[in-house]
Amino acid sequence: MGGTLLLDIIIGGLILGGLYALIAVGLGLQYGVARVLNVSHGEFIMLGAFATYSLYTSFGINPLVSLVISGPIVFGLGFLIHRTLFQHLRKSSESMAAFEGTSILASFGLLFIIQNIALLSWGSDIKGYTYLAGTVDFGGAIYAQNRLLAFLFAIIIGLAFYFFLARTRFGKAIRAAAQDVDTAQLMGVNIHRMLGLCFGLGALMAALAGCLISMMFEITPLMGLPYSIIAIIAVVLGGLGNILGSLLGGLILGLVGNIVMYIHPGLSLIAYYMIFLLLILVRPTGILGK
Amino acid sequence: MSSTNNPAPKWLFPLVLSFIIIILAAVIPRFLPPYTIISLNDIFMYIVLTVSWAVFSGPTRYISLASAAFFGIGIYVSAVLGNVLPFLAAIALGGLASFLLALLVGLSSLRLRGMYFTIFTFGLSELIRHSVLWWEVNITRTVGRLVVSVDNITVYYAMLTIVLLTLAMAYFIKNSKYGLALLAIGESEEATDHIGVNVNALKILAFAMSAVFMGAAGATMATRWTYIDPSIAFNPLFSFMPVLMAIFGGVHRIYGQIIGATALTLLADMLLTKFPYYYNLLYGIILVAVILFLPQGLAGLRERMSKWRKHVLVK
Amino acid sequence: MSGMIKQLRVVFILLAVLVVAFPLTGYCKDKILIGTAISLSGPYAPGAGMTQIPNYKMWVEEVNAKGGIYVKEYGKRLPVELIIYDDKSDIGTAVKLVEKLVLEDKVDLLLPPWGTAMHFAVGPVANKYGYPLIGPTISSEKLRKVAHKIPYFFGILNMPREQGAALVDLLVEFGIKKVALIYVADAYGIEWTAEVSPALKAKGIKAVIEQSYPLGAKDLSPLLKKIKAANVDALLGMSYPPDTFLITAQSMGLKLNPKLFYLGVGVAFPVYRDKFGAKAVEGVMGAGAWNPKLPYPGAKEYYDRHVKKWNKEPDRWGSAFAYASLQILEQAIEKTGTLDRKKLRDVIATETFPTVIGPVKFEGGFNIQAPGEIGQWQNGEFEVVAGKPKRTAKPIYPKPAWP
Repeated sequence: MGGTLLLDIIIGGLILGGLYALIAVGLGLQYGVARVLNVSHGEFIMLGAFATYSLYTSFGINPLVSLVISGPIVFGLGFLIHRTLFQHLRKSSESMAAFEGTSILASFGLLFIIQNIALLSWGSDIKGYTYLAGTVDFGGAIYAQNRLLAFLFAIIIGLAFYFFLARTRFGKAIRAAAQDVDTAQLMGVNIHRMLGLCFGLGALMAALAGCLISMMFEITPLMGLPYSIIAIIAVVLGGLGNILGSLLGGLILGLVGNIVMYIHPGLSLIAYYMIFLLLILVRPTGILGK
Repeated sequence: MSSTNNPAPKWLFPLVLSFIIIILAAVIPRFLPPYTIISLNDIFMYIVLTVSWAVFSGPTRYISLASAAFFGIGIYVSAVLGNVLPFLAAIALGGLASFLLALLVGLSSLRLRGMYFTIFTFGLSELIRHSVLWWEVNITRTVGRLVVSVDNITVYYAMLTIVLLTLAMAYFIKNSKYGLALLAIGESEEATDHIGVNVNALKILAFAMSAVFMGAAGATMATRWTYIDPSIAFNPLFSFMPVLMAIFGGVHRIYGQIIGATALTLLADMLLTKFPYYYNLLYGIILVAVILFLPQGLAGLRERMSKWRKHVLVK
Repeated sequence: MSGMIKQLRVVFILLAVLVVAFPLTGYCKDKILIGTAISLSGPYAPGAGMTQIPNYKMWVEEVNAKGGIYVKEYGKRLPVELIIYDDKSDIGTAVKLVEKLVLEDKVDLLLPPWGTAMHFAVGPVANKYGYPLIGPTISSEKLRKVAHKIPYFFGILNMPREQGAALVDLLVEFGIKKVALIYVADAYGIEWTAEVSPALKAKGIKAVIEQSYPLGAKDLSPLLKKIKAANVDALLGMSYPPDTFLITAQSMGLKLNPKLFYLGVGVAFPVYRDKFGAKAVEGVMGAGAWNPKLPYPGAKEYYDRHVKKWNKEPDRWGSAFAYASLQILEQAIEKTGTLDRKKLRDVIATETFPTVIGPVKFEGGFNIQAPGEIGQWQNGEFEVVAGKPKRTAKPIYPKPAWP
């Protein structure tokens, strides 16, 4: 029993952690590389979720297929937003520190704008659908299919992205820029285009996560901000500018969340934040930070 | 220092200004419609939060997201002790509780820099919120408290006093050697340490000072809200808003912070009532537009104007 | 010369404005101005957008289609104009905007915001200015302690005391002995547990698990697995909508099939049935109950109008209460023939009002008429199953296993 239980809690935590990791990697790109602490990250998750919901309930399009439809659109949206808004801000801010401030303000603005448009288009009602709600049994440990699927996709997307970063020229450019933008520029990287692509990729990840979330939870246009906060915490926990760290941060948050929830549901949030704060104190530049 | 060369403009101007403000503010409630006073209370609240936040975060560039905790502690002091203590005592105690909490936060976060500090303060606020909630759920078994309400004029005078004290504190810190040292910390903490400033003590003290009036404002405003619970009192919005307002107005000038707080409060007021369904949309567009054209906030407008004037004159 | 013309022009314009504006101000009452500050954005917006705002708007339209409400002191029907402000789900904003409605807009009447916390904040303010307020989305025992201080406030919704007792009666009726009681760590969960937990003990029903969980939990399967292992007869969840959906989905997955499955707020929402499917939720019980089959005049018609106007069903709890509170306001105006708020308050406090939730009567500020305390999904309708005399269908027990 003890062994199954432990496995049970760990797998449950990894499932949620995988999702958080996906969200965190997206924000990691936007913050770690493009230096935009994008508070509206969760709004892109919401957009992904609603796109999936609408396509599924109105046209019967399989939620996994809608990934292919909504993903590129949100990617384009993110790219455009960076090219118009944040690129301009970056140029006009007197220092990087000033840019971080102004970009927070601008991303709050985006949050309000996107949320309001979503409210106007979909209304404030709770929405949801059922997809792959059946379960899989692992020797006594039972999991919902859609959660496992979400985990699987999070892993696939995460791995694909990792190889993209590690192996491709463009991926290397991103990593170089995450370390040091100026040097990357000197080495001939078209920095603004690259930052735009990073921002778009971050939005894409958010939309993918939103699609997966919509299979598990009910959705509203106001669902975004808590996910933004989870993402920010995960990115910081993992270490700024370290994409792998973001991934790890997300997994840890999910895992810790599930463990404390099992031990004592009433105390879980307190324990959750205590562990997070302690981790930060022990590793003041994040788990994988320099 | 330069102030010995021409002391008049530096000291006289704020003195006269504050004198005028005091006179005006003391007389104004007699002639204002009641709702305007209520509106002013809200503006005062955000000015206190924003200017207090900027006392520490402005010069040092440590973006704190703990304002909600300091404000919320004040609210809870008022809610728990409001019916046993006189109003003034509750306000003072709110400020004190906030001060002590900030000492603790400052002490525990000394090692952290930049974003790590920011998220740490945010996490700590959330921890406090959930701890208070846990306490209410498991110990007192009552989430949500009714607060003894106080009439609007009394709240107005209390808030006015807190605003003036906050401004005075901000002004004196900014223009003292401590203000300079805080600025130096923002430039380079190591270098400041080397020139013999006790960086840690200064950071903690400035942080704690900045929390005092947030707590006092919380204790005061709680009486207007009549009902609070942990998620109302420790609403993360009160951590985010001061940052937004300061950046919106201009972080590095006290008048910029005041303008930011006032403008965004009035804007919200206007949009919520005139365009309730498009409130967030318009609010967001204005935030983005202002920061696009005035990356230094509204306070940057003046510099822009003078630049533009020069430009025109040259032509 | 041109300066003088300019001055003259200004004087002329001012005069013109005065002439045009004067007849519009003041003495001829041509409409009833009603204001509300309610959540159009923020976390309370989904609740407000489902339970209250559609009913407010529909009622105003219906009243105005009749030409307005007949007010005897003006000798004519006055149309209703509704001012809606967004309180952003923020208490401070709500209080402030209500005072704006009262002091600046000088509304004749106020309509309540959404949610228990908001009612607690706005109720005393409305009371201070002497505005009657009938709150359709506050369910709290704490209200009983302050009700005498706010005589202008009326609670129309079911309160935990009656609902909790009705739930325990159901358990007794079915001979249930062993239950798991879980509750969200918020006012709602605590108050319900404070009512239900001692009542269970008094009836000799054992709560083998009694556990709170945090609001906003994303995975409750560890807790549900414990409950499954404990093999209880009933799961009683004092939950809020997000956790109501989560517990349902995860219980289905875990095949957690107690004979009685009860959850709190959210079960009565049509989206609950639609998300999981009518077949899946068959036999699930939830807090609150109203359906168009109830024998009250206008209930069925209200339901049909709501579906026609909004293309969605009203929820099976608060919606009808919100609409009833408007009917009461309308009847009170017609009965007293005035917009005098003191007189309106006195009539509301003493008389009985036929509404879509039955004949409402307030005693000490609390409605003593409930169309039902607990409901159960049966064949796609949320049937009233408790209190016993109000049943619209026999309860299904034990609940069929999840599909």
